[in-house]
Amino acid sequence: MARERTRLKRFTPVHRLWHLGLILIFMTLSVTGIAWMYFETPWGRGVANLFGGYLNVLEIHRIAGLIMMVGFTLHILYMIYRIDWKRFPGSLLGPDTLVFQWVDVKGFVAHLGWIFGFNKLPRFDRWSWWEKFDYWAVWWGLIIVGVTGLMLYNPVLTSDYMPGWMLNVALWVHRIEAVLAMGHIFTIHFTVEHWRPSSFPFNAAMFDGTIALEEAKHEHPEWVARLEKNGLLNEAVVSPPPVPLRILYFLFGYSIIFLGLFLLVFAIANAALLTLF
Amino acid sequence: MSISRTIICLLGMLLVVLPSFGLATESPKDMAGTGYFRDQDTRPGVLEFYRQLPGGENRLWGMGPKRQVIRRSSFKKDAHNGVADFSPELRCQKCHIPQTKDLHGLRMGITCVQCHRSQPVAGIYHYYSALNPIRRHAYVCAKCHDGATPSFASYLVHEPNPIVSETRNTFPLFYYAVWVMLILAVGVFIFFLPYTGLWWIREFITRLKGRPNHG
Repeated sequence: MARERTRLKRFTPVHRLWHLGLILIFMTLSVTGIAWMYFETPWGRGVANLFGGYLNVLEIHRIAGLIMMVGFTLHILYMIYRIDWKRFPGSLLGPDTLVFQWVDVKGFVAHLGWIFGFNKLPRFDRWSWWEKFDYWAVWWGLIIVGVTGLMLYNPVLTSDYMPGWMLNVALWVHRIEAVLAMGHIFTIHFTVEHWRPSSFPFNAAMFDGTIALEEAKHEHPEWVARLEKNGLLNEAVVSPPPVPLRILYFLFGYSIIFLGLFLLVFAIANAALLTLF
Repeated sequence: MSISRTIICLLGMLLVVLPSFGLATESPKDMAGTGYFRDQDTRPGVLEFYRQLPGGENRLWGMGPKRQVIRRSSFKKDAHNGVADFSPELRCQKCHIPQTKDLHGLRMGITCVQCHRSQPVAGIYHYYSALNPIRRHAYVCAKCHDGATPSFASYLVHEPNPIVSETRNTFPLFYYAVWVMLILAVGVFIFFLPYTGLWWIREFITRLKGRPNHG
């Protein structure tokens, strides 16, 4: 029986692979980083012991950090490859790119107005302002956490190129940016993408690459209208993935969400035991 | 007198001259912490030399740690000499509480005497102290951090509290970097947490009213 074509293609397999890779490496870094940060508490030591103690936790953290930096470099190369250089720089603007534009400022104001009931929901195109923010936040985060992480990777080598006291600075910057990134993902990102009434309980768009056409008409009406106008809508509409695959996406997604919540809850609960100064 | 002999002479002169260039451009980077002493580690006036090292006042526009007020006891052979009520039986934590709250002690379980050595504890600027900056990197840091250099040893083990205003004077870069990051992080949460909460409520109310999503 042919399944009904109810879903709109939103992410390519390459997009999904970037996101999957980011999830895996980000969670590895989160677990090992928090275990090390909380190493003076019984909970932190318990998490570290799952990896065989602090030496292993730190080593895994370092290697995962390097992999993340390699991934980031590859992503930059991918982005350079994807830019339409023939129409550059005009190609950076337009509804399909993630570059912030004036329309995003208007979209933000209108979205805020909608939250307070002043106006209708703005008619977003392919990417809304918060989706662009989510994308670029990873950039700023990776640059900050990556540079300081590389400095801390081998402190003795680093101090050949800069004063050793830069490591005092690097550790604190690394730590605050990491807490910001984890806090943002485990509360705001999860809520916006999965727990809003319209997405609850699970939004699999980044896993199966599609969103419901009906949902797209509400959240990204300009995009759907543009596809329709250009005659691209019909080929962009596909049937949902097979049920076993959907179950797999759901289970994977929620194990990551629960892992994030576990870290969040216990990190907050143990925060008072942490000696920072 | 052949040309070849002239060349050999010139090469010989270069061999004599070149190493002195090397000495003239000695930088902290060249000072790998081998644990050996060089002349500059021990000769009089060495303090001037170390002021120019990373951590000295002139590096990075004066944003690094300023030299703290050095107490007179820091030069004594027994730093506790003359301290009222001092007894070698006391635990260090009784008086030096802030110094016990750093990564070395809390996470790695390093004890005070592993760096400061046992009784009598010498002042860190005493000429023979292991923690004297002229040999700290080799005698203390390198016990765990293989190849530690004087630059490496300028890391502040007992780091100040980065957010108090005092640190703006004692270690400006530390103070400003941490504050900038804190403002960034707190700013993101102050903005996005209420925003997301209100957004959730708005969608929920729309649902309750039975209208399609995003009414």
